[in-house]
Amino acid sequence: MSVPLTRAALVEAPDDLDELIEFFHVRRWSDGLPIVPPTRERVERMLSGTTRKPADVIASLAPGFGSATVERIAINAVMAGCRVDYLPLLIAATQAMSEPVFNLQGIQATTNPVAVWLLVNGPIARQLDVNSGMNCLGQGTVANATLGRALRLIMQNIGGALPGDMDRATHGQPGKFSFCCAENEAQSPWDALHVERGYRREQSTVTVIAAAGTHNLNTHADNADELIGVIADTMAFPASNDYWIGGEPWLVLGPQHAAILSAGGLSKSEVKRRLWEASKMRAGRLCARELQRTQSARGQTLGTITAETLLTVSQKPEDIGIVVAGGPGTHTVYVASFGDARAVTREVNL
Amino acid sequence: MQVYDPTAPGPATLPDLLRTVGDLRGKVVGFIDNSKPNFNLLVDDLAVLLTERYGVKSVIKQGKRSVATPAPAQVLDELAAQCDLVVTGSGD
Repeated sequence: MSVPLTRAALVEAPDDLDELIEFFHVRRWSDGLPIVPPTRERVERMLSGTTRKPADVIASLAPGFGSATVERIAINAVMAGCRVDYLPLLIAATQAMSEPVFNLQGIQATTNPVAVWLLVNGPIARQLDVNSGMNCLGQGTVANATLGRALRLIMQNIGGALPGDMDRATHGQPGKFSFCCAENEAQSPWDALHVERGYRREQSTVTVIAAAGTHNLNTHADNADELIGVIADTMAFPASNDYWIGGEPWLVLGPQHAAILSAGGLSKSEVKRRLWEASKMRAGRLCARELQRTQSARGQTLGTITAETLLTVSQKPEDIGIVVAGGPGTHTVYVASFGDARAVTREVNL
Repeated sequence: MQVYDPTAPGPATLPDLLRTVGDLRGKVVGFIDNSKPNFNLLVDDLAVLLTERYGVKSVIKQGKRSVATPAPAQVLDELAAQCDLVVTGSGD
């Protein structure tokens, strides 16, 4: 019996759990970890988490351009171990990923290790217990672990980017299993990311970000000038997509570092401007072929690029993303970006 | 037990990808340079080959900012309007 393209097919699978998990591995329907079986009952229960209809098409996902229906998102959410109330956030994130400025085709098919980082803002972060504090980018929180995992399964199963096939990543990164946290809005001295992007504080949003990796900055700098200098120096490295493309790098400021910058009288936009200036890098640090690529990518705005040209990490200071997250400690995380992508924020609606 | 297949089939209909152009003589050929090093050199050589050996009327070369960035819609529209066939390529 043929099934409409907008409805998922039920298939016969082994009753034995070990055999069932193997059944998913053999078909490359998992990420290498055991899954929760997406039975009719579990998927129906997951679908009760939204008012959307199962056959509603949220997006068509590159590179395979499979239809991301609400039902298929729910199936992958079940497999990842998500709770029922996580579904609306995954629907919003799936839609956000499909926006052309996010460049999902490039993200899915590149040799770059880029992962999609889910950043949650607003009341839903507390409602779903998305960790924004200690170890928020690490293990141990159901929402962080399973939301990021579900998004990866959606990218792989609906978008069709299987590792080694359409997903051409040279190494990939652990963040491709899961990469999700909330902003620590309570400990931020500034407006939260979603407010900065035009939403009200009481709205709930999810932002998708093309993250090439995480690099920890452990610094005991105790004043704003020193801290800006140390962070900016770390941002500037030659094998970075951000410098040759003019990208969109991110900083996850630990609350202690954010407090130091704020105590130094810096607004968030001033922090961005200071970092943008201080992280300029001599183009001569790039290898010859990278210089050639930089000329092609940025020549229109920068003119002729020589070894002495000072390259900025992004096209504009405001393209540097800043959020506050994490627990106590002298740490900040630098998230270099894929370069050819812009983060997209969407409101989470039931 | 019964479980759902988590994958999604591709689009039900694909554009006609096998339209042929026949003889190259008098045709306009477009190239989208993906900006990887040396692709521009390859295109220059191919342009000479296409015009001198195959009688192509002209070759139009367009570029994009970087390899992973899609070509701008305006570039695609212009090439579609001007060319009989377009080659997208990767040199490295």
